[in-house]
Parts: sequence; C-alpha cells; structure tokens
Amino acid sequence: MARVYNWQLGREMSYWYPEDRPKKQFAAVFDINKCIACQTCTLACKTTWTSGKGQEYMLWNNVETKPYGFYPLAWDLKLLQMLGAQDWKGGAYPGETLFESAPAGQRVMGWRPEERDYSYPNVGEDDCAGRIENGAGLAVPHLTWFFYLARICNHCTYPACLAACPRGSIYKRPEDGIVLVDQGRCRGYQECVQACPYKKVFFNPMTGTSEKCIACFPKIEQGLQPQCFVNCIGKIRMAGWVSKPEDARADNPIDYLVHVKKVALPLFPQFGLEPNVYYIPPVHAPASFLHQMFGPGAEKAVETYRSAVDDPDLGGLMGLFGCTEKVVPRWKRSGDSILGLEENGDEIVRVPMREPVFIRQAFDQKYQIARTNCP
Amino acid sequence: MRPNLLLTILVAAALGGCQKSKVPVSTFEVMVVPAATVPESPTDAAWDKAPEYLAKLIPQDLVEPRLLVPSTPEVRVRAIAAGGEVAFRLEWVDSTQNDLARPAEFVDACAIQLPAQVGPDVPAPQMGETGMGVEIAYWNAGWQASANGRGDDIQDVYPNAAVDHYPFQAASLPKDSPEQAAMAARYSPARALGNSVSGPHSSSVQDLIAEGPGTITPADQTTSRGRGERTELGWVVVITRRLPQGFSESTRDQVAFAVWQGAQEEVGPRKMRTGWVPLAMKEAS
Repeated sequence: MARVYNWQLGREMSYWYPEDRPKKQFAAVFDINKCIACQTCTLACKTTWTSGKGQEYMLWNNVETKPYGFYPLAWDLKLLQMLGAQDWKGGAYPGETLFESAPAGQRVMGWRPEERDYSYPNVGEDDCAGRIENGAGLAVPHLTWFFYLARICNHCTYPACLAACPRGSIYKRPEDGIVLVDQGRCRGYQECVQACPYKKVFFNPMTGTSEKCIACFPKIEQGLQPQCFVNCIGKIRMAGWVSKPEDARADNPIDYLVHVKKVALPLFPQFGLEPNVYYIPPVHAPASFLHQMFGPGAEKAVETYRSAVDDPDLGGLMGLFGCTEKVVPRWKRSGDSILGLEENGDEIVRVPMREPVFIRQAFDQKYQIARTNCP
Repeated sequence: MRPNLLLTILVAAALGGCQKSKVPVSTFEVMVVPAATVPESPTDAAWDKAPEYLAKLIPQDLVEPRLLVPSTPEVRVRAIAAGGEVAFRLEWVDSTQNDLARPAEFVDACAIQLPAQVGPDVPAPQMGETGMGVEIAYWNAGWQASANGRGDDIQDVYPNAAVDHYPFQAASLPKDSPEQAAMAARYSPARALGNSVSGPHSSSVQDLIAEGPGTITPADQTTSRGRGERTELGWVVVITRRLPQGFSESTRDQVAFAVWQGAQEEVGPRKMRTGWVPLAMKEAS
C-alpha cells in the first residue's frame, strides 16, 4: 500500500497505488433539491449504452429515493455496517477508509451483490422516512422526508475498482480522470464489483466481463456533457473539471461550487475514494442523515444554498445548469447575466439572472377572442 | 468449517481409499506415457495405463486477493503423449457443479501450467516471472457447457428471461445479416474487441501466457483442446496441448496445476494450486 493524500478526508491515507492525479479530473455537481426522479437520465443512459445482451439489469445511472431506496439493495447500508461507526473530527476524518479496513487477503473491504439485490431498482421509491402523525406540521427540516439521489460512477481519484482488479484491467485516463474497464482485458473476476462501494460496476453474465459507466467519454472528448446530464429535464446536473483545493479557480464552475462556496459535497467521502460527483444536499432532510452521507460540511452547504437567493454569483451560477450541451470550463457574471465560457474565454452560453416575465392576457384584444390556457 | 468443504474432504478421503488398484501410481513426478494417440475422452481405457500422480493443492495466498480458506485438497493427474501432443487428465472432488457465471456466481475450472522454455532454470511457480514466462491451458466448466451445446446467449444464461427489444433486433435490420451483427457488436464491447473470455465459446480451453501474477494474456491462438465431464464426485477433465519443445525421455520439465471451485467463490487468484511438479517422459516400451 502507498500513502496518498485525500483532500476530502483532510489527511493522508493508504491506497494500493501511489498518488497519480490526471491532468484534468472529470467531475460533476448534482443539485438534489431539483431532482424529481423522472428517471429521464436513467433512460438516456440505458438507451445509449446498456441496451445489449447481458446488460438488461444494469443501470449505470440510477435514481433512488433516500432513505429507503437502493440500487442494488442496501448498497450503502451494508457497507456502513461493515465499516462500523466512525467519526469526523472537525473537517478531517481520522476514521478508517475501505482501503485501510480491508480484510486479510483483500485489497479493499467490500461485498458482492447477488442477482436479487439488483431486482428492485425502484424499491423504497417515494417512501417517507416516517409516518405523518396527528398534528404534524410543516417545518424545515421536514419531520418526515425523503429525497432523490441520482447516481452514476464517481470516477474516483482513488477508485476501489481499479485497486481491486488483480490484473490491471481497470484504468484511469490521465487526460480526464475517467475510470474505464478495459473490455479487451477483463476476465470477469468480479473483484471490482465487490470493491466499488457505490456498486457502479456490473458483471455482464453473457460476455463474462464487468462493465461500468464510461462518463460518455466520446462526448467528453468533443467537449460535450454526458447523456444523463443533457437529458435531465430538471437541469440538476453540471459536468466539468474539479481541481485540488489548492489549485481551485473561482472562475471554474465546479471549483466554485465545491471549493469556494463548499455547497457541493462528495458522496460518502469517508469511504476514502475521493469521489468526483458532488451533491448539493437537500435542504429539507435532517442534518444527521446528511452528515453521514455527505460529511461534516453538509449543514453549512445547506445554509449556503439557502442563501443563494441573495447571492447573485451563486444564485446566478445555478442558472448555468442544463442550459447547454457543452462542458462549461469557465464562467463569470456580467451584470444581470451569467456567462458560460470556453477555456480561452469565448462565450458558450449567456443566461439571464432572472427570466423575463410575460403576463399573457386571458383575452386577446386584437382578435377579440378568449385565449385557451393550454401550452 | 463450511459444509461443502467438509463434504469435499470426506469424499476425497473416500476416493483415496477406494482407488482402483489397477491404476499404477507415480509418487514423485507426473509420468507422461507415450502412446499411439492421445485419448480425448476422460473415460478412455488408455488412461488406465498411465500412472496417477496425487498432486496436493495449497491455497493461493501469496498475492491479493488471496484464498484464505482451503477447499480442494488434491487433484489426481495422469498424462499421455502422442504425435507431438501431451494430454493431461485431471480429476478432483467437487460436490457442486457450477458452470454458469452470473453476478456473484462463479464457475468450476482447472488449469495446467508449464514453463515457456524447457530447461534447468524454471520460472517462479506462481504464474512465472518477468523474462521467464509460463504457458497455461485453462479449462472452464461454463465454456464446456457452451461447447457441449448449451450456448452462451442470454437465453442460455437465463432460460426464462423475457426481453422486450434489443436495438439490433429492429425490423429494419435483416436477421443474421452483417449489419445486424455489426450493430450487436456495438452493444457488446468485449466481443467487439475480440476478448476470448466473452464468447461465444466453441472450446472449453484457452491458452494463456504469463510472466508473473496479474499478467496472464491470451496466447496468439488457442491450440489446446479440452473435455471435461462431471463424475459422481466431481470433475474429470482432459486438457491436450502441444508437447513442450525439447521435452523427451532424456529431459525433464515441470508442470503445475490449479483448481477453482465456483461454489466457494473461487475465481482468478482465489484458487487452489500446486507448486512445480517434476514432469518426466516414460521411455517407449
């Protein structure tokens, strides 16, 4: 095991390979507050990549309801139970990661889902965390709650799948940090399936190889966002590039949300993989649950997000989500507009801070006719 | 102790006690017997003339992921050579038949390994080492089932599967046309890349080369053949490969064996294996 630095944990940790960060790291921000679990992202991915034989059960992208939704079944609960109670101290995590708690003879602590664990992708959908008792009122955080968690591969800085593969069939691309299974080399040992805590590697029973989300790399190579991003009707997603904290740039939209405003947080950072999909936590869920899922910055992130209405930069940047198919590496606010920019400053898209309001009169004076109120 | 493991040990003991006396035994080496032809079938009577070597298996516990709980205790080996080929017959006890790889399910398998070069310096027994490679012939129970006619399409893996539609089965694509095959390949990247693991499988054996743990790579082509059959107690498998160049009655070589029990979640490095076992050729009588 090598010693590597994991900024999400605020410390060095053990990993199977030495630290070797890519030139750029693919990353994403998902705003949970905007997700309605329409599963359009799921279908966009399914129809693009996993319509083949042996891929029937695979959902490289899925949306599950928390706290009672899982795909595969109990993926997070099982691992949290295996890891045992761990603590954060301030912003740092002195607890054990999945690499540091690996059992004898294994590279990563993990578990391998069985077929039936994949059989209920909609389990727990829209199930509340509790009953609505007599006299319950509406308060924030909600007394009873649920939220939708959209999940893809996190294209981790320290991928457990990559560490676990005994024959080096999984690699992290140096140019963009995307993690891929070499389909020409994989022999289907399923070690990666066992090791990935997010359960985003899947065994194809027809070809006998394991497959995973590829971050739509053919699109990324053309400067375009992946299918699950551009098909999101809730516009909850933004793809881009995340830097190390010390290299963060305020004009990089992902860096701004992750490092400057700290409003977007990694999923289960305590696992130690430095995952690169960052979530804006839901404002209505209890802090203790968010703390477990997103780390100690969750409460502050919610507070910051709720203040976005008074923050023209943060509030404006949220308007860039889902407004262009292109990856937006730079941004700036100009008056009442938010500009999405190329690396060289060329404008990709311009979004108004406030959409203009038009009031459509119910009666058309010109034609002397009542308008029907349909789209 | 797991019930399957206990059963395996008990049955192995029984098998050892019931060994047919007519089969000669080789104590210190795998003795290759020359013959007119190599028997393809594990039940061929010709095997009765080949001495049997009892190869003790140990868990692979040198590289992660390691096998920490021993399973198959031994494999019984016989060998016959003819026409530039050598056939190894491997027989071991395995109470469960596992020939279908699915999520969290693994197949039974075995392998023979020889140094890439016959000579006094042998590679490390565990998959060889850099500059001193090994040749491996790997037999897989799932591939055997496919080769026997089960097939390895999705309906063969899941006979009751009901699938609405695959894009490559659109009406606009003529059935079994090159256009349809090309589109199907786009949805099966392992097959599109020619990964021989991914099938379809007409042979139960794959030839591999390696220069250390984690380095196994398919040989340029698989020339070895295999045939495995289920017995009352486990498996008996014949793997036939080319005779190592330079191996004769006047030289010695080495051979190693490995066995995987799918029911014990053994796959890849999680296996029972031997070290090098001396390999000798009996002089033609």
